[in-house]
Amino acid sequence: MVPPSSRTEILSLFRSFLRSARQFPDYNIREYAKRRIVDAFHDNKTLSSPSSVAAAFADGKYQLQVAKRQALVYSLYSPKTKSIMDIKY
Amino acid sequence: MASKVLAAAVRRSLSPRIPTSIRSLSTAAAAVAEPFDETAGISMKGVKISGRPLYLDMQATSPVDPRVLDAMLPYFVSRYGNPHSRTHLYGWESDEAVEVARAQVANLINASPKEIVFTSGATECNNISVKGVMHFYKEKKKHGVGALYMRRRPRIRVEPQMNGGGQERGIRSGTVPTPLVVGMGAACELAMKEMEYDEKRVTKLKDRMLNGIRDRLDGVVVNGSTESRYAGNLNLSFAYVEGESLLMGLKEVAVSSGSACTSASLEPSYVLRALGVDEDMAHTSIRFGIGRFTTEEEIDKAIELTVNQVEKLREMSPLYEMVKEGIDIKSIQWSQH
Repeated sequence: MVPPSSRTEILSLFRSFLRSARQFPDYNIREYAKRRIVDAFHDNKTLSSPSSVAAAFADGKYQLQVAKRQALVYSLYSPKTKSIMDIKY
Repeated sequence: MASKVLAAAVRRSLSPRIPTSIRSLSTAAAAVAEPFDETAGISMKGVKISGRPLYLDMQATSPVDPRVLDAMLPYFVSRYGNPHSRTHLYGWESDEAVEVARAQVANLINASPKEIVFTSGATECNNISVKGVMHFYKEKKKHGVGALYMRRRPRIRVEPQMNGGGQERGIRSGTVPTPLVVGMGAACELAMKEMEYDEKRVTKLKDRMLNGIRDRLDGVVVNGSTESRYAGNLNLSFAYVEGESLLMGLKEVAVSSGSACTSASLEPSYVLRALGVDEDMAHTSIRFGIGRFTTEEEIDKAIELTVNQVEKLREMSPLYEMVKEGIDIKSIQWSQH
């Protein structure tokens, strides 16, 4: 059994997540990733049993790897012209 | 390509003292190669816009979720085996991935994996279902791949529309495209996990859009049922406004007036006519598609642009002026040509 993750570990995962979310050059994916991460961590605040916390933590670690990989892939193929939502008038 | 070769030849023949002119030559070559992507805005089909339009055409295609792409990429890059190859590891691993995807699709709709047939998309599913015999259930399309649910018991015989190697139990011959099928499976699994979250959010955005437009405009009608409806589809008619003119004026919003078949025809959508929408109103329809990646800011921007354009067009419309003066448009006898 995986030991329950400490508060600092969870906060550090949260911060790494937000950092990689910000790396997405695509406006829609980036905004979604930021929003989904905040909501997921917020929803999981109510988890109390050590096993469910550990499972959520492990899933989070895996999703972080996906986010890091895909932020790189998206940046390799990002169009030169930004979304009009990213252009400040 | 030719211009790049030319640029390289010019670079070789010129002295290295003038690199700036070479750079400008090569960017010019790049601009010719990529007319869609100029750094200072985009110009295509005579339309100039400062950035890529906000995308609200989710019923045409929707962006691939990065989690789905992450599942697909290995099957493009290194696991390229044919799932029907029985003699080597490449085939076995692809076959395994296809079967995992089949289970993921089945799981979403509470079916058995044995009831799922992979096809090229919804059109093919419909053709097998309708021409092949009868009322099976069309399931889902996704960028060049589809899945058909076919009840196992009592068994139904279908006439294959594609003949060949007998893949997919002979119902649909042709090599199953592993990366696309893997993507579809991943998308179904994700849909299952995210359904509640997405549904809540898309409904919220739809309400925001409808209320935002109705607060500022009269004569706005929702086409189709307001109750039995997928929240991510908002098909609106704007009275006294011509739909095509509205679409032309909304170049910063990617929307369409109905199904993808509208591109060449000025006829109103036959789907709207079948829903009982009057011909004049069917001519003024716009379909807004909202999805997982749509933001509040995009909705607000779309409201702003739509309202401005509708107001502008109504100001120019003699019909709208007559209505404001209290004339019943339907009572007018238009002269015949």
